[in-house]
Amino acid sequence: MTAIERYAAPQSLDEALGILQQGEVTILAGGTDLMPQTKAGRIAFKPTLMNIGRVAGLKGVSLDGAYLRIGALTTISELLRDPLVVQHAPVLAEACDQFASDQIRNAGTLGGNINNASPAGDTLVPLIVLDAEVELASKPNGSVTTRRLPLAEFFTGPGRTKRAANELLTAVRVPLPQPGHVARFYKFGTRPALDISTISIGIAGIKRDGALTDIRVAFGAVAPTPVRAPRTEAALEGRPLDAEAIAAGADTARDEVSPIDDVRATAWYRKELIHNMTKRMLDHVAQA
Amino acid sequence: MNVAEKPVIAAASLIGQRIQKKDAPEKAAGKTRYIQDMVVPGMLHAKILRSSRVHAKIKSIDTSAAKALPGVHVVLTAADVPDQQPIGVARDHLPLKGERVRSLRDEIAAVAADSDEIAEAALKLIRVEYEDLPVIASPEDAIKPGAPLIHPTPLDAHGRPQSLPPKTPIAFAGKPDNIAMRFDYTHGDIAQAEAESDVVVEDSFQLHYVTHCCMGVSGVIAEFDASGNLLMYSNTQVPFLHKREFAEYLNIDPSRVRIIQPPIGGGFGSKLDIYPFEVICIFLARAAKRPVKMVFTREEEFLASPTRQPVLLTLRSGCRKDGTLTFRQVHTLHDNGAYTSWGATTPFVMMQTFSSLYRVPACDYHTTVVYTNNPYAGSFRGYGNLQATFAIEQHMDMLAEKIGMDPLDFRLKNAQDAGEVTGQGMTFKSCGFKECITTAAERSDYRKKHADNIANRNARGPVKRGIGIASMLHVGGGAKIYPSDGCGTILKLDDFANVTLITGASEIGQGSETVLSQLVCEELGLPISAVTVVNNDTAITPWDVGVHASRTTFIAGNSAIGAARKAKAKILAAAAKKHDCDEAALDLRGGFVVVAETGEPVVELARLMRNLHFSDKAELVMTTFYYEPPSVHQDKAFKGDVSAAYAWAAQVVEVEVDTETGIVKMTKVTGTHDVGRVLNRLGLEGQIEGGVVMGQGYALTENLIVENGVTRNPNFRDYKLVTAPEIPEMDITFVESMDGEGPQGAKGVGEAPAICIAAAAANAIHNATGVRIFGLPFTPEAVYRALRGKSDKPHWPAWKPE
Ligand SMILES: Cc1cc2nc3c(=O)[nH]c(=O)nc-3n(C[C@H](O)[C@H](O)[C@H](O)COP(=O)(O)OP(=O)(O)OC[C@H]3O[C@@H](n4cnc5c(N)ncnc54)[C@H](O)[C@@H]3O)c2cc1C
Repeated sequence: MTAIERYAAPQSLDEALGILQQGEVTILAGGTDLMPQTKAGRIAFKPTLMNIGRVAGLKGVSLDGAYLRIGALTTISELLRDPLVVQHAPVLAEACDQFASDQIRNAGTLGGNINNASPAGDTLVPLIVLDAEVELASKPNGSVTTRRLPLAEFFTGPGRTKRAANELLTAVRVPLPQPGHVARFYKFGTRPALDISTISIGIAGIKRDGALTDIRVAFGAVAPTPVRAPRTEAALEGRPLDAEAIAAGADTARDEVSPIDDVRATAWYRKELIHNMTKRMLDHVAQA
Repeated sequence: MNVAEKPVIAAASLIGQRIQKKDAPEKAAGKTRYIQDMVVPGMLHAKILRSSRVHAKIKSIDTSAAKALPGVHVVLTAADVPDQQPIGVARDHLPLKGERVRSLRDEIAAVAADSDEIAEAALKLIRVEYEDLPVIASPEDAIKPGAPLIHPTPLDAHGRPQSLPPKTPIAFAGKPDNIAMRFDYTHGDIAQAEAESDVVVEDSFQLHYVTHCCMGVSGVIAEFDASGNLLMYSNTQVPFLHKREFAEYLNIDPSRVRIIQPPIGGGFGSKLDIYPFEVICIFLARAAKRPVKMVFTREEEFLASPTRQPVLLTLRSGCRKDGTLTFRQVHTLHDNGAYTSWGATTPFVMMQTFSSLYRVPACDYHTTVVYTNNPYAGSFRGYGNLQATFAIEQHMDMLAEKIGMDPLDFRLKNAQDAGEVTGQGMTFKSCGFKECITTAAERSDYRKKHADNIANRNARGPVKRGIGIASMLHVGGGAKIYPSDGCGTILKLDDFANVTLITGASEIGQGSETVLSQLVCEELGLPISAVTVVNNDTAITPWDVGVHASRTTFIAGNSAIGAARKAKAKILAAAAKKHDCDEAALDLRGGFVVVAETGEPVVELARLMRNLHFSDKAELVMTTFYYEPPSVHQDKAFKGDVSAAYAWAAQVVEVEVDTETGIVKMTKVTGTHDVGRVLNRLGLEGQIEGGVVMGQGYALTENLIVENGVTRNPNFRDYKLVTAPEIPEMDITFVESMDGEGPQGAKGVGEAPAICIAAAAANAIHNATGVRIFGLPFTPEAVYRALRGKSDKPHWPAWKPE
């Protein structure tokens, strides 16, 4: 009853990109999004199902000059425990700690979370405020080429990205933090485990003398994709984090988002949460 | 001389011990084989095509493509089963719908095929043409004058209402209005009692849809043998009632229906009625001449198994300044859904709470149950009592506040005592109610925390703490709803003194096998491991009404004790004869016949049993007992002592409310239950903990969202069961009121622990924030809205049909 005609489990990137180049391929990583979605009929398998689980070199975290490089196949559990992540991007580990359940974390990968392109994907908001970029590889004319794209620009809609059909996401690169760098993540779900974000918030910046500069603010689950919030960033940039600035930041955030009503929450409530929790996070940053 | 001391066997009791459930190792190891795991040789797999419209006429059904699909054996529609009979208490429900669909769960066609996948593919090939009808999405709309009818009277060829013989079931004759059932109860003089009140409060309460979420979804296997006898493997909670009903629907002799229950993965009331899928599966098996298995998917379980009864309720309560309750007046509107199942009859239980939880001189209760195009409600642990308690226990706090009385003192002043006969005719023989209240309050430090929380409401910080109490009354000695509320036991001892306990009482995960074994072993002085329980085959087990009304330990327990005592008498008589002593001086302990006074062993029981088996005048130990509780049917005015005993409890709930998100965290539940007597402490604690969590889900997280007849969240992602990290700390204690009729003094407790939680949570949220919320569930958004004054208070001008 399925349209799968061919199953491929390549061992090398070269081989995988070759298969992709032939077209009509569904990529399988941990399968925690793919399997439920195909079963529910929300997406259809292409004739070739390619399991990338055995492709060498797509797993693990390493230092790459001024960057932290995270392989696409790194699982959520691995991110949560990885010493380099904990040291250089603790906010990402924090997000992984609020992600699904142990079983799902053990199977689900970072590459899958990004390519699933859900507005509620929990690694996306922290990675965006960390200025992460994605690395995409392809083999258009016999040799492997790679391009990089800021993650904040990668998403074009729910389940849609700028990845071309012949490209594989190989890694994510996160610049190593500058002195004074702070980053926070907040996920609102109605329960502490196994919940899809109703809203999520990421805030990062360089804290110096009670003020934040180079501010990044991003929100999840309030738009078709995770979004940066430039107006909120502008309202806070460089200002001492006093009550007035925090109130202005939170107010701007509420006005800046335009979420929808769904079974999880109304738009009104999502805006209230964005306001209240942005304020709470900024209070914490100010007090830290 | 070298003489060892004569061994003596001291009297030891199993009662009150912590005894592991007999089926626990198997279940924990994943070895239990549920109906999902069963394979019957030659069986086919079945699926049901359900309506894609909420309310519509069916213009045509085309199954030709489905029938042509290779691997498909049978496709059935209503046209193929002209003999189908309506099911349900009101006989308003035909399993397969031919002319009209009234809700999205409605069954239109069914397929039996070589595999689930083929059956599923065949469903997609069935073409149904509909003509939409206006949707009645709320009970308020259903009672509006001129509202479209859900079960209109069918018209004859001339467009006139068909004239049908009286007593023709609603499924054929229709119903001239949308009112499915009515319940009207009264005691005392309401007008006078209201005139004597110093304070009166009136509020409407809105109770939502939730569903059972059994881990084991619904399923059945039906099979006819060569002589046309029906064998069913079924998850039912009521095998003997079902046997009779299926025979009726199939027009065959009940002796030709046999029901075997594989281990059941949870019931909670959901498996208490006959559902279309079971009848349809039988039709398929009949047509295919093969065994047919039908098991729901999880989504189907959400869409097509019954819900808890949603209720709109308006309550008026009054009291005097001194804290004496004067009256209660209740009007409820029950959303029946499109067909009538047990949810419609929850007023039987609800009115008990209103009339009798506290002493109230006048009570006036009215329920109107109306048809809508929503999913239909069935029975669910607590049976209306969660809904009633939610309203009544909020009013207890509100009245107390109005007259400036402490909420505990107010409850204690009006609480029932042993010996009381209520306006509804319930007689409280054993009653530890007041002790439940005081114990739960003391152990949780209720009074101090209640006062402190009010003082701290305006303190800095978004998180407010609250504490709330609620109490409950529920049947604890069965409920005489059917002509009998009894249960039979057959007991035999083999030649190794092992016991086979054959009981009518089904095990649905509640631990009945264990507690019944325990009661038998208490009589026979044997270890639990000596007992094998047979309880799942109507061809073997004696009759029982079924698992409902928290009755199994009480009724089946008394029955098992009866059989065991008869066995014991036989054993002691045989031992006395053989060893030439006085049987009255003997007892059974530790696998021996002993001299009661000294504990001196007379003979090993196994040895005695072997002797009995192999003597030329073999007298084997086989006994039977049937227990019928001394309760009575209610009269037409709903009065009468319907249960042999009543259970009581008070639960204190503590919460933290985050006023910036609306998240309510349940931090602690302190519960005290009058259980009569603790039999299996471990089983009891498990039952209470599970019930508390179920109550917590009802209060805080679970919500089956039904919009315009469409269930929006038929999955565990969006239907939120409580998960492990949310479960509060629990402090559970028991009051042992030693019920005179109960088995070893015990009373039923199965439903009790779920009942108070939502009511106590409402009171706790009010204690924390000063805001009272009249509708469930207390999801973060609902609470946040209420805190911001942005939610509409439920409002229903009390109404009943004239
Ligand atoms: C019970 C449950 C709970 C969940 N809870 C959460 C949660 O709390 N937070 C959250 O964010 N998510 C959650 N998810 C979603 C899911 O687990 C995550 O998105 C996970 O990271 C997906 O990774 P995967 O490896 O399983 O992806 P897959 O399912 O294998 O793939 C997802 C998509 O990405 C594509 N893809 C995968 N890898 C690549 C690659 N390297 N290059 C190009 N395309 C690729 C696939 O083709 C597919 O379209 C949950 C899922 C389940 C079932």
